[in-house]
Amino acid sequence: MPDRQAVETLILDSVKMLAEDFDLETLKQPTPELALYGEDGALDSMALVNLIADIEDALSERYALSIALADEKAMSAKNSPYRNVQSLTDAVMERLPA
Amino acid sequence: MRTIVITGTRKGIGRSLAEHYLSEGWQVAGCSRSASDLEHAHYQHFALDVSDEAAVVNMARQLKKKYTRVDALVNNAGIASMNHALLTPVSTVNRIFQTNVVGTFLFCREMAKLMRRSGSARIVNFTTVAHPLNLEGEAIYAASKAAIESLTRILARELSGLNITVNAVGPTPIETDLIRGVPAAKMQALLERQAIPRMGTVDDVVNAVDFFLREESDFITGQVIYLGGVS
Ligand SMILES: NC(=O)c1ccc[n+]([C@@H]2O[C@H](COP(=O)([O-])OP(=O)(O)OC[C@H]3O[C@@H](n4cnc5c(N)ncnc54)[C@H](OP(=O)(O)O)[C@@H]3O)[C@@H](O)[C@H]2O)c1
Repeated sequence: MPDRQAVETLILDSVKMLAEDFDLETLKQPTPELALYGEDGALDSMALVNLIADIEDALSERYALSIALADEKAMSAKNSPYRNVQSLTDAVMERLPA
Repeated sequence: MRTIVITGTRKGIGRSLAEHYLSEGWQVAGCSRSASDLEHAHYQHFALDVSDEAAVVNMARQLKKKYTRVDALVNNAGIASMNHALLTPVSTVNRIFQTNVVGTFLFCREMAKLMRRSGSARIVNFTTVAHPLNLEGEAIYAASKAAIESLTRILARELSGLNITVNAVGPTPIETDLIRGVPAAKMQALLERQAIPRMGTVDDVVNAVDFFLREESDFITGQVIYLGGVS
């Protein structure tokens, strides 16, 4: 099972890959606090869909984990888990099997 | 080599579609609840129920490992039940919606993720003329296909940003196990409501699917083509 640091690295890698694919300058050197989606975020909804799918894929490939980030909990959360790398990392950690 | 996923390939239309695309040089990944006796160097069969989320996700993972991406999906797996509404048990309703609607949705969702890097991918769903003709005795089957048509139109919009087109083909009756139970008189009356009153063939379906899959069809999405001149 990956620890928090490993998950954060995985998400940062996914953001970098997406930034290359979509040519998003501001996301090419991402930090955990950099806004991704929503206020000041550089991602539009299509790019976000791609990012979530990439993260789910990477979790499955590296750790054989089947995690759905876009579940009902995420949709109804007061603070969207998609704001930045930090909140995405939290969301993955919460969904790791016990 | 382009990869196509076709559901419901053990028999009927799906089987013919699998054979057709194999002969056209595609890599074909098929599935059905039972095993398949289709053997070909470029065919891989997955024994699964299309409404089983874990199984579909697992199939997508395996396809990703093996082929890295998917170029086309044909959601052919489907079941029907011809019965008066007053005589239709809820278990039948659930079965039909699970296979036709949930199955189609799950495959769209999982395969679209693998189509993101195709650059020009295609999804073709299956509806039926029973929906536009409002055929008595097919309320639940037709309603499930109406849901698929709606899914087709909305996914066409949601997936256009990923360069995936989503269309549907609606066959008239075709001689397969699906319609074996329909009485001859009923079938004749049904055919007479078509602009061209004959039974459909698998080739008619293949032709429509081919059209949607063509590279030149990249500006055609969210459309439903009914066979036999039904509208
Ligand atoms: N034939 C017609 O007159 C007609 C007319 C209009 C539309 N259609 C549509 O055309 C499509 C194909 O029909 P068909 O005539 O070829 O039917 P069919 O001969 O009964 O074949 C159905 C195929 O789907 C598979 N299947 C059924 N339920 C499944 C499930 N839950 N999970 C995975 N696979 C499943 C079956 O294999 P297993 O049993 O091994 O699972 C079989 O390979 C359907 O969507 C149908 O609604 C047919």
